[in-house]
Amino acid sequence: MSEIATTSSWRPRSAWAGFAKPGRQGRAGAEPGVILDLREGIGLATIILADGQDEALARALSERFGFAPPAPGAAAFASGRGLVWAGPGQWLAVAPSRADLAGFGEALAGLAAVTDQSDSRAVVRVSGPQARTALSKGVGVDLHPRAFRAGSAAGTGISHIVAQIWQLDDAPTYELAVPRSFAGSFWGWLTESAAEYGCEVRGLPR
Amino acid sequence: MRIRCPYCGERDNGEFTYLGDAGGARPDGMGTDAAAMHDYVYLRDNRAGVHRELWYHGAGCRSWLVVTRDTRTHEISDVTSAREAGLARRNSGTTSGEAA
Repeated sequence: MSEIATTSSWRPRSAWAGFAKPGRQGRAGAEPGVILDLREGIGLATIILADGQDEALARALSERFGFAPPAPGAAAFASGRGLVWAGPGQWLAVAPSRADLAGFGEALAGLAAVTDQSDSRAVVRVSGPQARTALSKGVGVDLHPRAFRAGSAAGTGISHIVAQIWQLDDAPTYELAVPRSFAGSFWGWLTESAAEYGCEVRGLPR
Repeated sequence: MRIRCPYCGERDNGEFTYLGDAGGARPDGMGTDAAAMHDYVYLRDNRAGVHRELWYHGAGCRSWLVVTRDTRTHEISDVTSAREAGLARRNSGTTSGEAA
């Protein structure tokens, strides 16, 4: 193997690279029914509570984020940074970039296990007037506003792929995270589901 | 069949993985004999009726759950966190047999 080939094969690349292409897909028309913003360069970390540190961890997270760690089935965001409930004593920290999570592990030392997941998930923001309808074709939880609204979060299966979904606002705007190695399969499901409404794919600035 | 996860609410059973009987408690391997370990590892009752069993919510909150299910009807009468059930068993001082 040549040195040049080795070097280029280790170049960092987006989780969506090779699958997602910016631009319009599916039904043509004036307004796209579904808008897909690729969350490139996002910062992610899992937080797993250490035994008996519930109150201390809640205090530390409140100081850092400005809100208490969300309850089961909930997510909380402020200024693009958030916490998504992921399981009992577990949260996913979300930030615009990995740099925003610098020092996070040290800050929670002894209170929680913190693991950088920024490169482990493919994350996409789904909005547009048909976002809920398109997602409802495969998301394993009820997305009707009576059951799922801004600040709701769930881990569930989508087209046999383990996924986390959280809702950012009542527009509605959702974000979905899937394991990076499933990005291609998930992208296939998502764009097929959105095609009949017209789908606009965008890269999101950092 | 749907399972009402104590953390996530009612979910399709495709989100879960079945393990088996939730009844048996692992004997102290250093303090017991080979026959007791053999029973624990290999012997299972195949009950027609109410059964307490372990399920893993792998596509959801990744919690282990103790599900009480009637194997004849699939009716589920109770779902609790396996961690909570285990802690309750430890705190009650029971070291073997089925958790309350």
